[in-house]
Amino acid sequence: MISISNIEYSYDGALKKALDGVSLEIGEGEFVAIVGHNGSGKSTLAKMLNALLLPDKGSVSVFGMDTSDEEKTLDIRKKVGIVFQNPDNQIVTTVVEEDVGFGPENLGVPTEQIIERVHSALEAVGMLEYAKHAPHMLSGGQKQRIAIAGVLAIDPDVLVFDEATAMLDPLGRKAVIEIASRLNREKGKTVVMITQYMEEVTAADRVIVMSGGKIAMEGTPEQIFRKGDELRALRLDVPVMVELRDMLVREGLMKESNVLDVSQMAEVICPLLLKN
Amino acid sequence: MPIIVEKLTHKYMPNTDNEFVAVQDISLTIDDGEFFGIIGHTGSGKSTFIQHLNGLMQPTSGSVTVDGFDMSDKKQRVRGRALVGMVFQYPDYQLFDSTVLDDVSFGPKNMGLDAEEARQRSLEAMRMVGLEPEHFAEKSPFELSGGEKRRAALAGIIAMRPKYLVLDEPMAGLDPSGRREILATIDSLREELKCTVIMVSHSMEDVARAAGRIAVMNDGRLYAVGTPDEIFSKTKELISMGLDAPQTARLAQELRERGFDVPQDIYTNERFVKWLRGRVKHA
Repeated sequence: MISISNIEYSYDGALKKALDGVSLEIGEGEFVAIVGHNGSGKSTLAKMLNALLLPDKGSVSVFGMDTSDEEKTLDIRKKVGIVFQNPDNQIVTTVVEEDVGFGPENLGVPTEQIIERVHSALEAVGMLEYAKHAPHMLSGGQKQRIAIAGVLAIDPDVLVFDEATAMLDPLGRKAVIEIASRLNREKGKTVVMITQYMEEVTAADRVIVMSGGKIAMEGTPEQIFRKGDELRALRLDVPVMVELRDMLVREGLMKESNVLDVSQMAEVICPLLLKN
Repeated sequence: MPIIVEKLTHKYMPNTDNEFVAVQDISLTIDDGEFFGIIGHTGSGKSTFIQHLNGLMQPTSGSVTVDGFDMSDKKQRVRGRALVGMVFQYPDYQLFDSTVLDDVSFGPKNMGLDAEEARQRSLEAMRMVGLEPEHFAEKSPFELSGGEKRRAALAGIIAMRPKYLVLDEPMAGLDPSGRREILATIDSLREELKCTVIMVSHSMEDVARAAGRIAVMNDGRLYAVGTPDEIFSKTKELISMGLDAPQTARLAQELRERGFDVPQDIYTNERFVKWLRGRVKHA
């Protein structure tokens, strides 16, 4: 559905390539997480997905449309929506529902349909009761949910979260991740989640690890988080519960397992405590 | 001398229909040389609170005394403020000069130091935060990585030799290695400069590891102050307040809820392993 073929990209005046030979296929309905250290190229890659940036070499194809074909740009952006890092930069009007309706209105969607879309988008992010509120009075997490609703109202097949949780507090972060997982599970949206928080990728089908503009590792969260040393060498880390798992295995207190989070860990520890 | 906060209340738009009490009745003392962590969710009053520590904001009632200077008095405030270095969230957005050294020197020059003294202090500060001047001084701030920009911003404040270093989410937006490195730098600065560090953070793991004492804010009030042991023994309450306890504290709490007797002071992986080893062996 999205096919990235050996792309390269350099920012003006930069000495190093931001992307240096990246190839990647993203399938329909997939939940893909992209992680990487600061400057690894992950956000540059995100911007390739809806023609915000075009590769210097190689090609990006979205539903069969080449992103370098200017006539297709609008169609591509109807298919792939991006939620960015800073919620304040994504809000353009003074009333929440107008803000959410801004995208479809720009695309020429008929008014009754806009009203419907705004309603269901706000419902999907749990912000319906704020429809008439002023966005600037909301918290960062709430604003980010409005930004997600704004992208949803365009009804894209693919949602890209470009470090969309980075500026939020733990509650706001959790809400965004839950919304992304739900949209993937229940509405069949393809989700591309770009993040630096390792805890946020445990729900993904597949994790791509970027470093120095290249794909350094690729696999399921279980596979990736078995390689703690490799991740740390790439300036990343494993989730806290994976670290604990590895410590317990080293101590001989626990068998090898795929534990990634707190509730899975509790499941493994309980029988140990009951036995002893 | 410590920072003494007494019955601090701050109201936005007081005596109007829109009156909003951001901070209410906070009393606490931050001792010299402490690493003091402040946690609380968005809107809990943390930012309003720390802006009182250098007199950027004035209390609606109550008082703040910094090193003996009453921050509500105009003349004393100037002297108190000079002792408090504030690093705001995303300080890297505030880099603007043509070289890193110029950027770092901006603060000390602004203090009225002569060019040479400002330069010396800036070079020293760059070394302290791990930006070797030989390599970084003449670079453009725009060539720096995220972590290096954060260090440059920190150096600019350090060069003013504050007695108190107030940091609002200093690790936000950095990759995991960057987070660890900045936290280690902050702690070594505290040792080297003998300064007090006051750090606001959303990361419970970081606060649990670095802070000697922690203040928990909730709805503008001080919910608790104490050592990490004391604070994270209240994991259940923290979670119900919408705060994020360290993952290991959550695990311990989950096990307690399933009927196992896990001690209250277990909130790091190291302690968990040690406890489980003892528990499994002695059974």
